[in-house]
Amino acid sequence: MNTKPNILLVDDDELYLYIMEKTIHQLSKELVVSTFTDGEQAVEYISKCTEEKVELPEVIFLDINMPFLDGWGFLNEFKKLKPKIISNINIYMVSSSMRDSDVIRASNFEELTGYVVKPVDKVQLAEIFKKIYQENW
Amino acid sequence: MWKRVFKMFIGLYVPLFALNLFLYYSQKAKQIEAIMERQIRANTMKKVSFEEECHSFLRNTHYWATLKYPKNFDPLVEHSSFLRSYLELIEDITSYDQFRFIDLEGKEFFRAERVGNDSIIISAIQNKNYHPYVKAGLQLKRNQIYLSQISLNKENGEIEKPHKPVIRTVAPIFDNEQNQIGLVVINFKMKKILDQIKSTVEDKNVYLLDEDFRVITSSTIKEDLPYESGNKNSTIDGILNTKAITHIRDSTFVENGHIWSQQSIKLNGATFTYGSISNLPTEIVTPSNWLMALEIPPRLVKAVLQPVFESLLIFNIISIIGLFVFSHIYLKNRIEKEQFYKELESKNILLTRSKDQLEENNVMVNEMNNSLEIKNKQLSDFNYLISHNLRSPVTSMSVIVDMIRKEKNPELLNQLLPKLDKVAKSITHLTEDINDYVAILDNKEIKIVDIDLKELILEVKHEFTETLLDNSGFEVQLNLAAWNHISYSKFYLQSIVHNFISNAIKYKRDNVDSHIQFESALENKQKVLYVRDNGIGLNLDRHGDNVFKLYKRFHRNISGKGMGLFLVKSQLEALNATITIDSKVGEGTTFKLIFEK
Repeated sequence: MNTKPNILLVDDDELYLYIMEKTIHQLSKELVVSTFTDGEQAVEYISKCTEEKVELPEVIFLDINMPFLDGWGFLNEFKKLKPKIISNINIYMVSSSMRDSDVIRASNFEELTGYVVKPVDKVQLAEIFKKIYQENW
Repeated sequence: MWKRVFKMFIGLYVPLFALNLFLYYSQKAKQIEAIMERQIRANTMKKVSFEEECHSFLRNTHYWATLKYPKNFDPLVEHSSFLRSYLELIEDITSYDQFRFIDLEGKEFFRAERVGNDSIIISAIQNKNYHPYVKAGLQLKRNQIYLSQISLNKENGEIEKPHKPVIRTVAPIFDNEQNQIGLVVINFKMKKILDQIKSTVEDKNVYLLDEDFRVITSSTIKEDLPYESGNKNSTIDGILNTKAITHIRDSTFVENGHIWSQQSIKLNGATFTYGSISNLPTEIVTPSNWLMALEIPPRLVKAVLQPVFESLLIFNIISIIGLFVFSHIYLKNRIEKEQFYKELESKNILLTRSKDQLEENNVMVNEMNNSLEIKNKQLSDFNYLISHNLRSPVTSMSVIVDMIRKEKNPELLNQLLPKLDKVAKSITHLTEDINDYVAILDNKEIKIVDIDLKELILEVKHEFTETLLDNSGFEVQLNLAAWNHISYSKFYLQSIVHNFISNAIKYKRDNVDSHIQFESALENKQKVLYVRDNGIGLNLDRHGDNVFKLYKRFHRNISGKGMGLFLVKSQLEALNATITIDSKVGEGTTFKLIFEK
């Protein structure tokens, strides 16, 4: 909690988390990455941040399939918290499948910035960051 | 069929036949009446011509009776010249056969006879006073003429041959001083007249009878006056087939198919005026009382009626054929119609039946559709499971392998290698779990048996040590009044019950007496099983979608793979059962299982 994370990774696949962290650091040593292994923990973190008026990360990479609270559940809870959040948060849905039903369902959430399919490679990440950080990048 | 045709035909034909009979008989009566009329006319003509002949004889005789004979008339000697011219006259009148004068004693004093055809000769005098006509003649007054019966001429007591039918007229004669000097007797030949009477038209039979109904002449007998020559068939009994002949009145009648017309000829007492009108009328005296009868035999009547009969017969035959054909066609059509309606009805029944069948099929198709939908959903879930849960470790692995290849730092390499091992392990776990799931999906070998639910639950219950202790704080309650037996896979039901009890124990609330309750019920004729617990419950707002999904866990502090309810749902759906959940955090959870009908 001391340093504000720039990027939040929410996924129950620890291997994925490890790989993503490594990839992000290859792109930039400056970005701070935080990870949660399920939606529930991520929601708790964000609600805590808003309560304590701590700055929120700019980007969240959200997995769909997770125990306790999945990606959809996270988005529903996030909706409830949204009025209290001032800063702009980019949430990317990350899934290992390109199922149509998931893509359509994702498009119904205006909180979502994009939909990414695993594995997420360096080039994809670079593009996302370029959009978010613009000239700062 | 034929019976009905015949019935209908009779029904139609009988009135027609009655009408025909009526027509025939009225026609017959009319025809017979016409025949009778003609017959009467013919008979009258015969009678009149016969009477005319008689009158012609009487007129001749009257002529002789009114001659003024000389005093002491001696025709043979003294007055032979007086008579000669008269005899010459007679010669030409061929009907004169004999011409005689008889004195008041009844003795002939003049006799002339026809010899051959055209000569009259004076012949020898015969004594005739014993003859009835002579006696009757002597009784005659002035202005009376006697007309005898018709008979065969006899000479010297023997019937003259060839037979010569004659009629005699007798009249008194007077001299110029008005003293009667005798009688004039004339024999007239009747042969011609009788032949004329006999001559018939159209095969009718004619009879001329005398007062005793003896035949004088008849078209049916060759000889005249047959009774005189001993012919037995001479009376009406012999030849006339009728009893109704009478002199009393003229009549026309039908007897045994014969049509008779009879008219009597009565000349006795009749008066006529011959010659000049100023002459005194002459009275006819005669013992004869004839009867002219005309008979039309049945053969002739039939011949007349034949055309009527034939035309009616033809009409009837045509009617019979026509009506029969009509009845046949009509009934055939009707029977065909009836048959058609019957068939229609049976077809209707068949249609109704097939409609029912169709509806049944529809229900079956619907059920099948439902189960197919479930199958489809399961397959889709399976597809998702594979694509998602299997794909992510595999992609991770490929990324790590890529990293290892690029990594030069051996220290970092050592960090990466164990990650691969992790991936391998997770894949192995996943494969095992998928195997379990696939075994359920591929349900071909599911053995359905009749299950005693109570027995099964108690069996499963004993697998849990928590339930064995009395004071464990966990109880399994049963309320299986509605139903207790069900056809299902024993293995699946055991697994399902096992998962429910296991979950109920895992997620029980602290500080309360925990229980799980199985309650059977019937809703809409379907077997329903409620499974209730008073555990910690679940936030369905958050997790409702994921309750029955694979690898979903909702309670961080309690161990679990996230597979129990996923398998329960799969095992239920494999046998067309459904499951729903109702839960409240802190109160408990209720599952509702609905089994197939």
